[in-house]
Amino acid sequence: MNTKLLSTFQWITLILLRMIIGWHFLYEGLAKLLKGNWSAYGFLMESKWIFADLFRWMATQPTVLQIINVVNIWGLILIGLGLMLGIFTRLAAVGGILIIALYYVCNPPLVGLFYSIPAEGNYIFINKNVVEMAALLVLLAIPTQRVAGLDLLLAKLLQQSSRKKN
Amino acid sequence: MSEEKGNADSKKRIDRRDFLQGLAGIPVLGAFALAALKQESYRRTRKAQLASAAVPQGDAAEVNVALLGVGAQGDVLLNSMLKIPGLRFKAVCDVWTEYNLRRAANLLKKYGHEVNTYEDYREMLDKEKGLDAVVIATPDFWHAEHTVACLQAGLHVYCEKEMSNTLEGARRMVQAARDTGKLLQIGHQRRSNPRYIFTHDVLLRELNILGRVVTAGGQWNRSAAPDLGWPKKYEMPVDRLKKYGFDSMHQFCNWRWYKNLGGGPIVDLGSHQIDIFSWFLGANPKSVMASGGTDYYDKATHEWYDTVMAIYEYDTPRGTVRAHYKTQTTNGSLGYFEQFMGDQGTLVLSESSQIGALYREKTQAGPWDEWVRKGYLTEPKILESKAEDLTQGALDVRETISPDEHKIALQFFDPYHKPHLENYFNAVRGLEKLNCPAEIGYESAVAVLKVNEAVEAKQTLYFKPEEFLAQGAA
Repeated sequence: MNTKLLSTFQWITLILLRMIIGWHFLYEGLAKLLKGNWSAYGFLMESKWIFADLFRWMATQPTVLQIINVVNIWGLILIGLGLMLGIFTRLAAVGGILIIALYYVCNPPLVGLFYSIPAEGNYIFINKNVVEMAALLVLLAIPTQRVAGLDLLLAKLLQQSSRKKN
Repeated sequence: MSEEKGNADSKKRIDRRDFLQGLAGIPVLGAFALAALKQESYRRTRKAQLASAAVPQGDAAEVNVALLGVGAQGDVLLNSMLKIPGLRFKAVCDVWTEYNLRRAANLLKKYGHEVNTYEDYREMLDKEKGLDAVVIATPDFWHAEHTVACLQAGLHVYCEKEMSNTLEGARRMVQAARDTGKLLQIGHQRRSNPRYIFTHDVLLRELNILGRVVTAGGQWNRSAAPDLGWPKKYEMPVDRLKKYGFDSMHQFCNWRWYKNLGGGPIVDLGSHQIDIFSWFLGANPKSVMASGGTDYYDKATHEWYDTVMAIYEYDTPRGTVRAHYKTQTTNGSLGYFEQFMGDQGTLVLSESSQIGALYREKTQAGPWDEWVRKGYLTEPKILESKAEDLTQGALDVRETISPDEHKIALQFFDPYHKPHLENYFNAVRGLEKLNCPAEIGYESAVAVLKVNEAVEAKQTLYFKPEEFLAQGAA
């Protein structure tokens, strides 16, 4: 790809952004995994807004809850690894946006909604989840993985193997 | 950085630069792994520390136990003891044979303990020869006689607080323990509570987390309640009531409110917490002033004060500390807790595990991150002004910054009396020292019983240091 579209400094900042978000996802997943007994139950039961009934129903179904817990933990870990290493980066970015969107609609900071779990900041419509989703959108739009990441090597390997076949 | 090259072939080959760029995430992942491993090691250390602090140690050599007094408090102790391994219950004694005695014996039977039952403790001491220990939970005015007799019969004694309703009685108990060489544990159960021990030993003594403590406080608020009743069909005959010092069934069931039998709420409730003042401050009080009265209940059946407020002054090794204490029996809001305030922080602690926090004075104290990492405290919850608070009025320049709130990380979920009883039985087995021996219980009784005197005197009463030494028992 044409890497001259952006300056070296601009590429570095975007790659840094990807690493930071990857780090965040990876540790969120790993910490829950290591804790052993982590469950999304409390978060789902706290749900407000129009999907609240659905999320609460999920929390009360042991099998569904178990699936949510496993998918959430491993989703976070794999997305984190993908972003950090720059492998299947676009897939990781899309996955990240979707998973955060679910967190958002479960507990959105909308006008008139209050939560018993204290937040570490004050939000109206836009919270840190939205900021992280927006950052992932940027990473989806600008392929930093082609400049730094295993996707670069993967692309080259695929090109080499297809050239050999031809 | 990969750059456009003129040659199409070279663009498609993997060169050294591609390789380095492709693996750019590896060092970051390495740094992540180091941080995560370190964090996990802290987490495991913390978990292990908390687990070891909460699990009592000791072998379970069997101890033969008798229970003397199995009313409401005796029942609480019995239910805790049933969770302690290595106890063999042999005998139960209670004057209310129709109800208390039968209930306790039936409960013990369910757990596989066949016990002999007695109305008179003297008969029990005569007949039961294989006993090691006795747990006494009779009304306060019986404690001295029961404890002295059991110690002289060669038994180790756990006696509920208040040690006695008179200092003369308490002194006889200390003397009997010294004469017989038997153990006498007084039931100030917070002395064995892992959270209190951890707070005292680690947070206050080792870390001096509060700095210079200047004030302390405590309260026990209890909701208004009707007098205790009894099933009419199990009523005791009047002659037996008289024999054991009671005028009526009402007085028997509600003895805590009667002068000469108990000490009222300041003794029943306050003694637990006033004992903590002395323990945590490392000093006995120098003076006490108090106000109290039977303001709500019928004075004829509530001779002791339903509401008491007291102010103590302590000369501690680090300077004067003033402590206030309140007990009321007409409103249970805000519950019961003790608090200590120093120039570095504030401690709020309660037997109830819902309450237990430290507040760091941000303007004076350094960061507590190290104690959080070591697992002593939870991460801080920032207490900041909420928007709705600001609508009540503008912030005043005299207000200081809100402190951070940390919870004490050590949790405790066992019955409250269990660790103190375990400490007693382990001491009987020779494995531990008593956490509240007779001398400590006596010091506490001196500090607490003086409150009722101060209410009567309507003036500040001073303690002489020698008052705390159980003179006459030496």
